[in-house]
Order: sequence, then C-alpha cells, then structure tokens
Amino acid sequence: MPGAISWGIIISLVVLSIFKPVTCAVIIITFDFYWIIRTAYLTTLLIMAYRKLAREQGKDWLSACHSLPGKSNWQDIYHLVIFPIYKEGPEILHSSLEALKNCHYPKEKIIVVLAFEERNPKSRQNAEVLDNDFRDSFFGYLSTFHPDGIPGERRMKGANATWAAKKAREFLDGEKIKYKNVIVSCFDADTCVDKEYFGCLSYHFLTSAKPHQSSYQPMPVYNNNIWQAPSFARLVEISSSFSQLIESMRLEKFVTFSSHSMSFKTLVDIDYWPVDMISDDSVIYWKAFLFFNGDYRVIPLYITVSMDVAYAGSFFKTISMQYKQKRRWAWGVENFPFLVDGFLQRKEIPLFTKLRRSFHLLESHISWAVWAIIMIVIGPLPIFLGGAFFNQMAIGYNLPKITGLLFNFTIFTSIVWIILSRTILPPRPRYVSWFKNVIMTLEWVIVPIIIIILGSTPALDAQSRLALGSDMEFNPTEKKRTVV
Amino acid sequence: MLTEQRIRTILFYLSLLVFLIGLPFILSFALSYKFDPHTFKFTKTGIISIRTQPAGGVIYLGNKVLNEKTPATIYELVPGNYNLKIEMDEYYPWSAEARVDAGKVTRLEQIILFPLRPEIKQLNQEKISAFWIDYKRGVVYYIDEEERAVYKSNLEGEDFEEIASLPESISRIREFRVSPDRKKLLCFNNHRITVIYLGPQNNLSYIAPLFDLEYSNDRITDVFWHSDSYHIILITAKNIEVREVREGSLAVNLVTLNRKNPSVFSDENVDILYFTDDERAPNGQVYTNLYKLDLSKKFSPIKEIVKTKADEQ
Repeated sequence: MPGAISWGIIISLVVLSIFKPVTCAVIIITFDFYWIIRTAYLTTLLIMAYRKLAREQGKDWLSACHSLPGKSNWQDIYHLVIFPIYKEGPEILHSSLEALKNCHYPKEKIIVVLAFEERNPKSRQNAEVLDNDFRDSFFGYLSTFHPDGIPGERRMKGANATWAAKKAREFLDGEKIKYKNVIVSCFDADTCVDKEYFGCLSYHFLTSAKPHQSSYQPMPVYNNNIWQAPSFARLVEISSSFSQLIESMRLEKFVTFSSHSMSFKTLVDIDYWPVDMISDDSVIYWKAFLFFNGDYRVIPLYITVSMDVAYAGSFFKTISMQYKQKRRWAWGVENFPFLVDGFLQRKEIPLFTKLRRSFHLLESHISWAVWAIIMIVIGPLPIFLGGAFFNQMAIGYNLPKITGLLFNFTIFTSIVWIILSRTILPPRPRYVSWFKNVIMTLEWVIVPIIIIILGSTPALDAQSRLALGSDMEFNPTEKKRTVV
Repeated sequence: MLTEQRIRTILFYLSLLVFLIGLPFILSFALSYKFDPHTFKFTKTGIISIRTQPAGGVIYLGNKVLNEKTPATIYELVPGNYNLKIEMDEYYPWSAEARVDAGKVTRLEQIILFPLRPEIKQLNQEKISAFWIDYKRGVVYYIDEEERAVYKSNLEGEDFEEIASLPESISRIREFRVSPDRKKLLCFNNHRITVIYLGPQNNLSYIAPLFDLEYSNDRITDVFWHSDSYHIILITAKNIEVREVREGSLAVNLVTLNRKNPSVFSDENVDILYFTDDERAPNGQVYTNLYKLDLSKKFSPIKEIVKTKADEQ
C-alpha cells in the first residue's frame, strides 16, 4: 500500500504536468508552501531539542539518581548491554567496550553480551581477542554465537539479538536477578555511549510513571569518524541525528531507532525482537505498543550515543553502502502492515489512536519517498511538459518565481542547520586540516542532490520491493575509520 | 516537558494558521487573481513581461511611468489593450500596443533598443570599390578597380596590406571570388574571367594573370570555385561548364541550359550546384524546375555527364 501510494502520487503528478499543467502547478505550489512551513516548524523543534540536549549533556546523572526518593533505588538496577555483531572486527568493538568501561556508572551493575553470528568464520577468534581485554571489566560478560538456519528465523539482526537476550536470561536466572530490575540496551556494534548514559537511563527509568511500558531513546550522533567521512555521507548522518532530535519533540509520534534501551521484563513479555523482520529497532516498539494496548511510549534521553558514519573507503562504494543502509532504514515501512494487522486484532486500543498512529507511520514513509522528488524533479515539469499553452498562462510564468522565492526562505533554516551541525561536532583531530571546517560548511549546497540520491530514491526502492513482494536480507553496514 | 509540548502545540497551530492564510494569497497571485479589499472579490487579471536588450529602459504604460525598469513584469492588469513605450537615453524608443488576457502572460521579451548613434568603424585604409569577407579565417579582401589593387586586412581593419594587382585586361568587374585555399582570386564581368594569385607564388610576380579567358559570344551569368581550388564552374547563358584554371584548358560542358538566365547557388563546401532550368512538357507548356548537380565525387560524375553529352552529339 505505501509503495502504491508513493508511486501513485509521483505518476499522477507527471501525468497532470502533461495534460493538466495548471492543476499540477497549483498542487506543486501548495506542496512547496506546505513543506517550507513544515521545515520552519521542524527547525524550531530542532532548536528546542538541541537546547535541551545542550542543557542535559554533561549533567551528573548518577548524583541525580542518588538524590531520588528512597523507593527508587538505582542500585537495584542492572544494565544489560547487547551488541549484535556480524562482520564488525575487534577494532570497532574495542572502542564501544572502552566507552562502556569508562562510563560514570558502577561496572558491577553492567552485563555485556557480545552477540556474534556463528556463520561468520572469524567470530570465535574475534570473541577471544575481546574476551582477553574486557572479560573482567563488568559484572557479567558473555559472548554468544547465534547459530545459522534456526527454523522460522531469517538472517536478521533481530534474530541474533533475540538469541543473545535468551542467553542473557539464562545468565540472569543463574544470578537470581529479577527481570524487572534489568534494563536492556541493544546497541549497534560501533555505538560508543556517553559516560553519563547509564546514569541518565537509570534516572529516567526510575522516575518514569510506567518504566516497563516505556522505551528509552538516546540521541544518535555519528561522531566516531565524522571528520574522516566524505561530505555526502556526513550530511546524511547529520540529517539523521537532527531527525531524531526533532522526533524527540513529537512524543506522540516518537518511535525507537537504532541503539536504544527498554525494560528486560517487557522484552521477555513481548517475546523479544522479531526474528524475521529487518527493522527490528522500530518493530520492537510496535510490539510493545500492541502488547500494552497502546499504553507504551518512548522517553527521549537527551544524551548522545556516538556511532560511525557509514563509510566504505572509496567514494562510489560509500554511496552504494549509504544507499543500502538508507534502503534498509526505509524498509521500516514493513511496520505498517504489521501495525495494521495488530490493530485489527486489538479492540482495546481506541480507534482514534489506531487511526492516528497508522496515519503517522504511513505519512512519514510516503513523505520520505516523495517529497524531494516532488520539489526537485516534478516541480519544474509543468514548464517543460506543459507546452506553449502552459507557458502563456500566468501561473506558468509565476511558477518558477514563486518556487524560487519559497526556496529562498529555506536558506534561513539551512543556516540554522549548518550552525547546529557545527555545534554537535567533536573536536577536530590534529591530523585533519583546518580547511575541512570550510568544506564542512560549504558541503551543505549539495543537499538537494543528496536528498534525491540517498533520501527519496532508497525509500521508494524499499517500498517498491516490498510492494512487489521482493525479499531483502539484512545487510549490515560496513564500518571504517580511515582518513579521507 | 509539558511547557515544551505546549510551545510545540502553539507553534503547530501557528504554522497551520500561516499555511491556511498564506495559501489563498499565494495561489491567487500565481493564478493572477487580484483581490479587491473594498468589494472582497477576486478579479482575474493578466501579466506583461518585458525584457529589452540592453536592459534599463524606462517603461511607460499609457501615460504612466513605471518605477521598474526593464527587465520588468507588470502584474494585475485588467484584461484589455495597453499602449507600451520604452525609452532609454541614446537609444531609439520602442512602442507597441499590447493585448492582455485574463490569467495569461503577454511576453514582450525580444525587444532590441537600437542606439541613436551606432558604432561605425571604417576598415579600409585605401580607396576601394568592392569587398569580400572570409569569416572562417577572419580576413577582409578589398578591391580597388580604379587603382587595380587587391588588399586584405583582419576583421577589425588592422594589418591592412596590398596583396595583388588586377590585370589591365579586365574592367567593369561584376563579382570576385577568393578560392577555397585562399591563394587565388577570380574576377569576372559579363564576358571575361580572370584569375590571379593572391601574393607571390614561387618568387614569381603576382601581377601577371594566371588565367584569362574571354567569352565574346556568350554572357557569363556566374562563376564558382570547385573545392579543389583548381577548377571553376561557369554558368553562362547557354550552359554550365567546368574548367581547369590554367591557360589553354578545355571546357567540359556539364549541362546545356534551356533557360537564358538561370538562378544558381553553389555550396562550395560540398561541391553541389543548384540551378533552375526550363522544361517543355508534351502539351507544350514550359515548367521551371530546380536541379541539383553533385560535383563532390571527384570528377566521375562530370565524366559521366561529358560522356552522355558526347553520346548525344
């Protein structure tokens, strides 16, 4: 359905631009105006979220936990951290585990699970290397090896994470730790947490009205190799971080993304992550949402987890990798039929909630697939395809002027985005030239190209494949930290 | 968070309000509707778009001077006819009556304002009677028939120099043509053709004509160079013939013409000659046709034609 709607919108507008160019131009102007106002609105939310992030970053959350009233004892809480790993080598995981080790939080309250894939021949060797360095650093340290070909499973990250969570459950049972006192964080292999992360997470868990009916979403930034990554890859990831910051201000739409945390008890109750879906990070939220009949939420944590910009070494390989990664993210549209199916089975969820959440999910994926195409590709079409008739009409004359004027307004929002992008950057490494600062400011001019190539196109690709019943294997993103 | 959510709600509704209020205005502007605040009605108007070369002309709409100078767009014009005038110092004014239709744009975008005193530059430095411009090579050739001199310069009149002298044998020159290799000059009048070298050849003086031919019994209509710069194609009142440019060369008659003064066009680059000739139909009526003579395949077609003519004879 989403694929049909997206293609329907695009094809209808192309056909209209030929046969009814005036109608098409009216739709384009209306859409452009709507999008400019929406961008201004979202940029304001971004500023608000950024201010919150700046305010809460660096806060001593552990002290905040100490000062909580007696009932909420943070010392009862254990943090289970699962790293699903496929091809990522020890050099990537070393940074992630070092970040855990350097956390401002008692390590005897942290259990680490490195979830390797049995099908990777280097898994055991990599596990051994990491074992030697980190085995004794935490309360618990497990290396699990997810067997290949378990019936009902597909080669997905969720299947590996589920296997690891079940192994962790055995460990918790052995240690007689209650599930309700465990917060599980499922992190990408390259995730480096802020040193206050677990303090912040514990604080929000303990102060939440319904801690087991909440997921906890940190703000992802891609700072691990941001100074080394090529411009287009950097822009895509910065936009992705900003998108999460904006979403954190729209709680009624907020869904888990990438690295996040939740109650282990809830994870067990909802039968873990899906083992046959690509978008495990968001489906887990919808599973919980349906399980609790809509009484489930995502609490934003204004603290960062830093990951790698998807970078494959060369320009074209990186574009290809970025494209596949974005297509995988856009595969999240598979949540829509999952959600609708779930809604149909649960009469307890109010109809309004069902309609609103379904609409939000559908609208976000369709917008993702078509907005850049409408603004950049279809926008000028009536002028080229409308013929002499359209060009002698007043609207034919005014269309480029109005769209040009509207786009000029986006310069203001772009300036805000550029400034904010500079503020979330880590310090420039010594080996990176000062000139890179200039490049990182000027590179924003390529945004219109990027949003087509790595925005709308992969989303449309994913929706089309899903609509045509094509399958997509989980294709983990390669991580590199080489100087460009 | 509650406060933030409240701010967000206010922002959302504010954005919605801006959209709902702004959209009708943007669309009415796009569709060229004019809103009358007194009657609260929309009227469909038209647009005039003006562009001039050069830009900066003062626009008069009827008797009213507009603030905007060209290029300009005049919006919200009630449908009808408008007198437009564009003025600019040192340029001839431009004026026209423009029709404006509802919802349409009248495009006056190819206006050229011509200067009152156009920039004119004399190129020749000696007296001349005719000239020929070779744009490809940026050369101007001049002839002074009185002084029997041939000059050349670049397109700006610089490097002006004498390059040849015309022989005394030819007078009242009708046309002159420079050969494709730019080494020879062909001049002709009604009954004589003369070819001279442009500049000295092999240390020989260029004054003596290379080729000089008199057609006392026939009238020369036109003469063209073949692309090899060695043959010339002559169109006379009787026939089309080809000759080598050397003394004593024989003419090859390509076509015997029925029409005395044919129209002729020669494409020197591809050696194709277009000409008109008359044909008498069986009913006795005479038709004028246009023919194409391809001389590009070296001399084979010429030979074929010559053979045909010989066979005919």
